[in-house]
Amino acid sequence: MKKYIGITALVAVFSLVSCKPEKDTVAPTIDVNAESFPIQCSEVKRGENFTFKARFLDNVELGSFGIDVHNNFDHHNHSTEVGECDNEPDKIAVNPYVLLKNYTIPAGLKTYDATVIIDVPSDVDTGDYHFVIKVTDKAGWQTLKGLSVKIVE
Amino acid sequence: MFFVPHFCFGQYAKVQGTVTDNTGKPLEGVTVVIENSSLVLTNEKGVFTFDSIAKAVHTLVIGSYSKDFVSFTFLLEKDTVFAKPFVLKENTSEFLDDVVVTSKMPIGRGIESLSAIEIDAKEIRRETGGSLMQTLEKRPGIKSIGIGSSNAKPLIRGLGFNQVAVIENGIKHEGQEWGADHGLEIDQYNVDKLEIIKGPSSFLYGSDALGGIINIKSNAVPVKNTLGGSVDLVGKSNNLHAGGSLNLYGRSDKWFFRLRSTYMNYADYRVPTDTVYIYSYAVGLHKNFVRNTAGREFNNSLNFGYVGTNVKSIFSVSHNFNKSGFFANAHGLVPMNVDKVIYDSSSRDILLPYQQVNHTKVSNQTEISLGKHKLEIEAGFQRNFRNEHSKYTAHGYMPSTFPQDLNVPFDLERQYDKNAVTLNVSDRTIIKKHSLSYGVNSEYQQNKIGGWGFLIPAYKRFALGGFVYDKFFVNDKLALLGALRYDVGSIHIHSHNDWFESDVVGDNGVVSKEKLSKATDFSKNFNNFSWSAGLLYTKKDWLLTVNVGKSFRMPIAKELAANGINYHYFRYEKGNSQLSPEQSYQLDLGVNFSREKFKMSVTPFVNYFSNYIFLNPTADYDTYYGAGNQIFEYTQAKVFRTGFEVQASYAPLKQLKIESGIEYLYGVQLSGAKRYYPLPFTPPASGIFSISYAPTIWQKHLTNSFVKLNVKIAAPQNQIVPPEKQTQGYHVWGFALGTSVKTKKDVIDIRLNIYNLFNQKYLNHTSFYRLIDLPEQGRNIVLSVRVPFNFKK
Repeated sequence: MKKYIGITALVAVFSLVSCKPEKDTVAPTIDVNAESFPIQCSEVKRGENFTFKARFLDNVELGSFGIDVHNNFDHHNHSTEVGECDNEPDKIAVNPYVLLKNYTIPAGLKTYDATVIIDVPSDVDTGDYHFVIKVTDKAGWQTLKGLSVKIVE
Repeated sequence: MFFVPHFCFGQYAKVQGTVTDNTGKPLEGVTVVIENSSLVLTNEKGVFTFDSIAKAVHTLVIGSYSKDFVSFTFLLEKDTVFAKPFVLKENTSEFLDDVVVTSKMPIGRGIESLSAIEIDAKEIRRETGGSLMQTLEKRPGIKSIGIGSSNAKPLIRGLGFNQVAVIENGIKHEGQEWGADHGLEIDQYNVDKLEIIKGPSSFLYGSDALGGIINIKSNAVPVKNTLGGSVDLVGKSNNLHAGGSLNLYGRSDKWFFRLRSTYMNYADYRVPTDTVYIYSYAVGLHKNFVRNTAGREFNNSLNFGYVGTNVKSIFSVSHNFNKSGFFANAHGLVPMNVDKVIYDSSSRDILLPYQQVNHTKVSNQTEISLGKHKLEIEAGFQRNFRNEHSKYTAHGYMPSTFPQDLNVPFDLERQYDKNAVTLNVSDRTIIKKHSLSYGVNSEYQQNKIGGWGFLIPAYKRFALGGFVYDKFFVNDKLALLGALRYDVGSIHIHSHNDWFESDVVGDNGVVSKEKLSKATDFSKNFNNFSWSAGLLYTKKDWLLTVNVGKSFRMPIAKELAANGINYHYFRYEKGNSQLSPEQSYQLDLGVNFSREKFKMSVTPFVNYFSNYIFLNPTADYDTYYGAGNQIFEYTQAKVFRTGFEVQASYAPLKQLKIESGIEYLYGVQLSGAKRYYPLPFTPPASGIFSISYAPTIWQKHLTNSFVKLNVKIAAPQNQIVPPEKQTQGYHVWGFALGTSVKTKKDVIDIRLNIYNLFNQKYLNHTSFYRLIDLPEQGRNIVLSVRVPFNFKK
């Protein structure tokens, strides 16, 4: 009997000592500041380029970021921002603009200002789009920000 | 207990008797002990024989090592044959449909050295939850991973999915175990008896039984010369659930049948909040209804067979249909706009997105007694056909409008079509004090896929294993259990290409259009040796169990070859063809104390995985294969887990009973990318405490009256691994009231259960919608009535 109590005690002790608090439990953040572009309800022109700017922050180390632009002609809404923009009527896509870009953030950074120049081809459909910004940290935590933007003439 | 005086030595006599169950069926392999003297096992005719026992006062214990043994004291003066058979006490005072007997004997072979929970139909009916697993999760160590009000999968001590095997009538249930967003295709009204074994059980049931098993018997045989049935009716206030189950049975001398048909129809369920914040995006809930979570369930089954002296053969045919909606604002965990006028016009309709499952099972379970041997054959065929329907939404490089020429319905996102054939053959025999079993299990499955979404490729899988299992009853105090098993298995993954073209940037910077290959053809073979050793030691009111075992699990197709976006989570899941089978070593202890008024059990365990498989969220994104989503990659790590359950009950008065069940679980990854992180889906420490009172009122008309109050207290869960969220602690109350009204021949059961009595808002850490902060179901008042009927009695 004593033997088993001993094993149980051992288990209890091991479970206490093995909790090493060396892990990151905080997700990165996307900081909206005066420099950020686009923001909720921003407009970009087709046939021109614009500069994506965002600041990413993490408590330990940033990982990667990604940009995903796709049409919202059916208004399916991935927006995580409070406040709707003026939506155009629903429509069928003909040549919608699609952009998928991923970038690795240089190692060891807790703060990173991302700048990406994005071309909007002249032949894409104008209208309501989603602009989704994603960022991860080294531990695999992810934060998303979904913005509603418009591509205009 | 009686002391056997030593001066009686020198004069001996023979003792013989028979052990049967309630129906008079002889029970084989039951331990019969003359205390402080000798132990034997009953033979295939239920007969036990002690050849030479000292003439004195003795205590005979039948079915020792089980909680409900029969003990009997007598004076031995001459050779004695007990003419009247000993009836081994059953674990229930009443039985399903009052005529179908659930035996005390374990389902299948029993692993008595591991911690087990037994539940019979009566108990399931007393506290029927939204689904079988939601009914069972009140037991310590048992939780569920659920979605919505009526779909859930088992979680035993934090292990779930393919780490837990569900066995029905000897055949392993084959559904889509890998997913958290769908349930178990078992009709809870059709369960006669169920056992949950919390511990490594691979040595009997092969791969997947590594975390434990849920062993279900749904083909119990009615008693002779009966014809009758019952109607169950249930109504639930929270999700406007209406349902019923009709059962008919009959048996002549040797032939019997049982029929059951269950239909459930429920509306969207309600939560105690009117707004949910999905990634800070506010979603309003119309009248607290979780939009589009209504469902239907229609289950039919037929059991029929022959019960002879030496042959028992039962055929089972069942079909389970389930259609249920997903929360329309969060198909995937990303907010979706919905047309509220359409979606909120009815809480009962099922619109997109929704899932539909058809599970068909045909099986036979045959036992043949051949002299000292009992041959058991289980053969089965199953088809699990599951569809996920959702509105077509282009992601990544998918064409923005659904192409008309694609040979797929426009709303069929994913389809899984699994066909599995199982054959088990085994023998058990009694050799002196050994109860020896050996046999083979085999299974072949074919999995096809469909739909415009892609996650897991089509595959074929084969598994074959052989085992030897011995229980050695050393004396009336000690039994030893040992098992060895060897398994071989293979999996063949079929290739798969996207149906749409993606932009691929070549080495020279030139962009070309390509239908990407998502899976290539490959085969993997596995083999594994597993074992188990255990002991049971009983002394007076104490039962001590110890078990050490090595279990294993073959990687599944999703772990080896997933390569697509799981839109339920908006993540790119990537398999790893280099994974090896999971190997788990576990030490289990059990200390049980049982007296009339007080019962207690403590069941700690320690577990080490040399290669636990889990889906690791990386820091990277994938443009082409993952449509820009975060990469989640299957990986293996060393893992240490420990925990315990404590169960206690105290009945100070005959009518009053206080019960408690506490569980604690701790797990940590010891290597790999998530070193020092816990394991996903780790339930928080929790306890359930209840007090019940069974008044004896108006006994002329009522019986089994009871009133019960319970509270579940869960600690916060701060041990998380990406992408989980820390979950606050909570307590939630429940109340139940019930009675049985006596009629001429039977009793009509009436029960009222109130779950979440105070309509509290809380989050369940292991629930699918936890990640979008959707609270659990609000107050739910459940009224159930059961009316049995008999044409012959």
